[in-house]
Amino acid sequence: MIRQTLLATAAALAAFTALPAAATQAVAEPAAGPVSLSGDVKVDRTVTENGQTRHVLVQPDKVVPGERLVFTTSYRNSGTRPIQNFVVTNPLPPAVALAETGSGDYLVSVDGGAHWGPLASLTVADGKGGSRPATGADVTHLRWTIPQIAPGASGTVEYHATVR
Amino acid sequence: MKNSTRLLATAGLCALGAGLGSGSAQAAGTLAGQTITNTVTVNFQVGGVTQTAQTGTNAVTVDRRVVLTITGAPATTTSAPGQIDAVTAFQVTNSSNDTLDMQLAAVNQAGGTTVHGATDVIDVANFAYFLDSNSNGVYDAGVDAQITYLDEIAPDTTRTVFVHGDLPANATNTQASGIVLTARASAAGTAGTQGALLTATTTANTAGVDTVFGDAAGATDAASDGAFSARGSYTVAAAVLSVNKYATIISDPINGTTNPKAIPGAVLEYCLAVANGTGAATATGLTLSDPLPSTVTYNSAFGIFVNATVTGTTCSGGTAGGTFAATPTPTVSGTLTNLAAGTSSALRFRVTIN
Repeated sequence: MIRQTLLATAAALAAFTALPAAATQAVAEPAAGPVSLSGDVKVDRTVTENGQTRHVLVQPDKVVPGERLVFTTSYRNSGTRPIQNFVVTNPLPPAVALAETGSGDYLVSVDGGAHWGPLASLTVADGKGGSRPATGADVTHLRWTIPQIAPGASGTVEYHATVR
Repeated sequence: MKNSTRLLATAGLCALGAGLGSGSAQAAGTLAGQTITNTVTVNFQVGGVTQTAQTGTNAVTVDRRVVLTITGAPATTTSAPGQIDAVTAFQVTNSSNDTLDMQLAAVNQAGGTTVHGATDVIDVANFAYFLDSNSNGVYDAGVDAQITYLDEIAPDTTRTVFVHGDLPANATNTQASGIVLTARASAAGTAGTQGALLTATTTANTAGVDTVFGDAAGATDAASDGAFSARGSYTVAAAVLSVNKYATIISDPINGTTNPKAIPGAVLEYCLAVANGTGAATATGLTLSDPLPSTVTYNSAFGIFVNATVTGTTCSGGTAGGTFAATPTPTVSGTLTNLAAGTSSALRFRVTIN
């Protein structure tokens, strides 16, 4: 089953009021917001044809444990001014485990977003009083940072995860 | 960036709390019907000013993957000919990511070699199924409940099922019967009621929980058919009895005990020797009965000896026992103690030739 929604939260205006008056006046974008977001999820199936293995992305018709999913978020600057410090934060759904180990273009967190870094740099408690290197299954959050998006420009971020 | 960081930290703590409560089973995986919702939050600035954060979500529902296995007993069940309710055990495991009912059906193997190496030559009858209600791995009559299906078996759960069968009365020692138990996945949901047999969803993806068969091939069923089967066997252990009657002339009125002849007035000793074959089951309740011909008269002064020792064709020793009935036909009878495989025992008494 697939369900997609696009929500614009009307919160986070606390930061707005804390800014100097001059900066406040600089906010001239439409109230609807200059960013278009859309999420998608596909199943990554491995197909072997004539001895060649390739990956095919299909609609998530049968989603069972062990299946590899690809979560994609597409973004577009639909405004007229450049966007800076575009930070995409993606809490990992609890039912999936990250299926990549540091090769992605994102930082990860294994402690609910308190600390961030490449997966290889992170450790988690091993349950015996020590710690061990973090694995994809330990990841709780992903974060992409895009410094600037020109007006009209678009892109996607994606990650692969396995259904637990 | 400062504001973004603060928002991230808040969101992160919430998500961590939610993650701890996720309903996933250990080996079976995420439970069917769970929704995997991916939510992204975007924080950004325009002209150096933080804008309203935006979120995007999408979700998929986890489908039902049916995986079940059965393991038969490691050894054959030894049974007597004609035994009612001979028991062999099977372990049935639900490795699906959903609770299942499982329909049970046992059938006789049609010839060939049983799972325990013998040749299948007999069939058992009246299959019945019992759940190991007290989970002690041993069938307890009156405790373990008779069932026709396994009810509401949770993911990653193994239950023991006892299959009962009746052996043919004319079965002989070492004959074997192979059986196959098949469990078929049914929908759970109502305790005490077997749900409908599950079928794999072959049509396009539905909004609800679809069913995918992920079971392997069992003894007689195919892979990905929502069923699994395993073999068991019964082996007959019967007594293999042989009876010989030996007569020895003890004395005659003319020669006494020196080379006595079977003439009228001579004393004969009869020995009823019973032997049980090697590899046979212990024979119990051994009762011997010997109607005497009218040409001899029972020697009550000597009496009857049971559990006597057999050496070749002669018998000796034993303990006094048995009975003699003069009417309607003069008959000597007696009971021997249990006879293990490869041993023999005898009943002996004396008569006088008329």
